[in-house]
Amino acid sequence: MRFLESAGRFAYFLVDFGRAMARRPPSLGAILEEAFRIGVRSLPVLLVIAVFVGTNLALQGANAFAQLGGQNLVGTFVAMAGVREMAPVIAAAMIAAKAGTEMASQIAVMRIREQIDALEVMAVNPLWYLVAPRLLGIVLVLPALTILAIFVTLLASWAVVVLQLGQSGAVFLAEARATVTGADLAFSMVKGLAFGVIIALVSCFFGFQAGRGPEGVGRATNAAVVTVSVAVVCLNYLLSVVFYG
Amino acid sequence: MADVSPVVPPVIELLDVTRRFGEITVLDSVTLRFPSGLTTAIIGPSGAGKSVLLKVLVGLLKPDAGTVRLFGHDVTEAPERELFAARRRIGMLFQDGALFDSLTVGENVAFPLDQHRRDLAGAERDRRVAEKLEWVGLPGFEDRPIASLSGGQRKRVGLARAIVLEPEVVLFDEPNSGLDPFTSDQIDDLVLDMKRRLGITFVIISHDIVGTVKVADLVGMLYEGRLVEYGPTADFVRSGNPIVKSFLRRNLAPPVSAFDPGEGR
Ligand SMILES: Nc1ncnc2c1ncn2[C@@H]1O[C@H](COP(=O)(O)OP(=O)(O)OP(=O)(O)O)[C@@H](O)[C@H]1O
Ligand SMILES: [Mg+2]
Repeated sequence: MRFLESAGRFAYFLVDFGRAMARRPPSLGAILEEAFRIGVRSLPVLLVIAVFVGTNLALQGANAFAQLGGQNLVGTFVAMAGVREMAPVIAAAMIAAKAGTEMASQIAVMRIREQIDALEVMAVNPLWYLVAPRLLGIVLVLPALTILAIFVTLLASWAVVVLQLGQSGAVFLAEARATVTGADLAFSMVKGLAFGVIIALVSCFFGFQAGRGPEGVGRATNAAVVTVSVAVVCLNYLLSVVFYG
Repeated sequence: MADVSPVVPPVIELLDVTRRFGEITVLDSVTLRFPSGLTTAIIGPSGAGKSVLLKVLVGLLKPDAGTVRLFGHDVTEAPERELFAARRRIGMLFQDGALFDSLTVGENVAFPLDQHRRDLAGAERDRRVAEKLEWVGLPGFEDRPIASLSGGQRKRVGLARAIVLEPEVVLFDEPNSGLDPFTSDQIDDLVLDMKRRLGITFVIISHDIVGTVKVADLVGMLYEGRLVEYGPTADFVRSGNPIVKSFLRRNLAPPVSAFDPGEGR
């Protein structure tokens, strides 16, 4: 019941947002500022996570294929799992954890401190002012971060294969190169784009819905990050079905 | 209730407005007209619905029944473009300031200019911001972060932001609460001065009877969601209404107390 009610409100939110965007194009400066902030803030933690996802993909890939007697499939495994699935999802998860929660809590604070009311009274559409730059900022940044996560994951895997497992780096790279196509990179960027749209819209939506009082902020932020996480993994599955059958 | 309908045309009209939150009726069939060029004060105890009234006036809260007209536009019916055009002609101070924490004092005050007066060159924009900050007694505060301000200073920055476009109508939710008597006086003088020089229509929510008597042409009292008294200030202070009398007695009892019974919301 509550879910249906929220879904209905979200639909209204989307319609209102669409209308606001149609009336007035968002300011480029604000978009770039958001993009820069989101990118710079999320970059360090994303790099760390991508490295260690890469290391473990290589380790487990090597283990699995050692039992089957085909170690040189590690490159293929890392390329498939890392490039197609893990990198887009971890990039989205990091952006959701950093930028998404920040959006939800900032907007929720503005809601309870009447700053959103103040925007309205100053004849500035709050959806235009608050949501549009965040959405477009994320949409600019997340595909790029996804590609970055892909290369860092591959690099870390390569390092484990060569330095820790003592296997051939050249074979790994050849496998990986043979597996990863331009289409894979494009699909992963599309995933990043879709995840970015979800993170921004859902996080902002919960911020706007925040109830009165300080606990409203915590609740909004929580609801946002949980909803975004579930939505991203579900959408990831759907997109993989569409792209890879 | 005395229905004084001044000859001056109203810029804002509330007709039979009722607003409920759940079970409680916060505004109960309130009819009020705010005449152009005059200062109307709304007083009443904490929780009487004063802030809700102000939000209904500008269309932030929709009435459950009744009509609100802003410069003749029906606030609940008007399309956003029309409503925003009407709102550009008003300035509003929120009870807690509602300043943007991520911007500096100067950026907050400049916000309406930056949004609606792109035509103003940098120097002219800065001059207007500096001038308004000076009017509210905060000269040179442009670069201060909002977090560094005291409660009274926030309120004054909110005032400066509300008047920076030199609007036709200014709505103040308790401009004096949390201010010391000197600053309060200064704000009262500012209101009188702006009214005289710019012909601005003020709607002021207040607990401060002394200030109200000084600046208001008309006073209305809200009590439990109803407008229990309304009229020219001189008549209002002589009202025979027992609720008004006890409210005035408490507030005018000498020496005038700086303690504000409605503070802390
Ligand atoms: N958004 C809201 N949701 C639910 N109840 C509300 C809301 N806004 C106001 N109220 C309730 O409406 C009543 C009137 O509130 P309002 O803020 O108008 O009082 P006030 O007259 O401004 O008081 P004060 O002098 O303390 O500021 C209160 O009981 C308040 O709890
Ligand atoms: Mg109030």
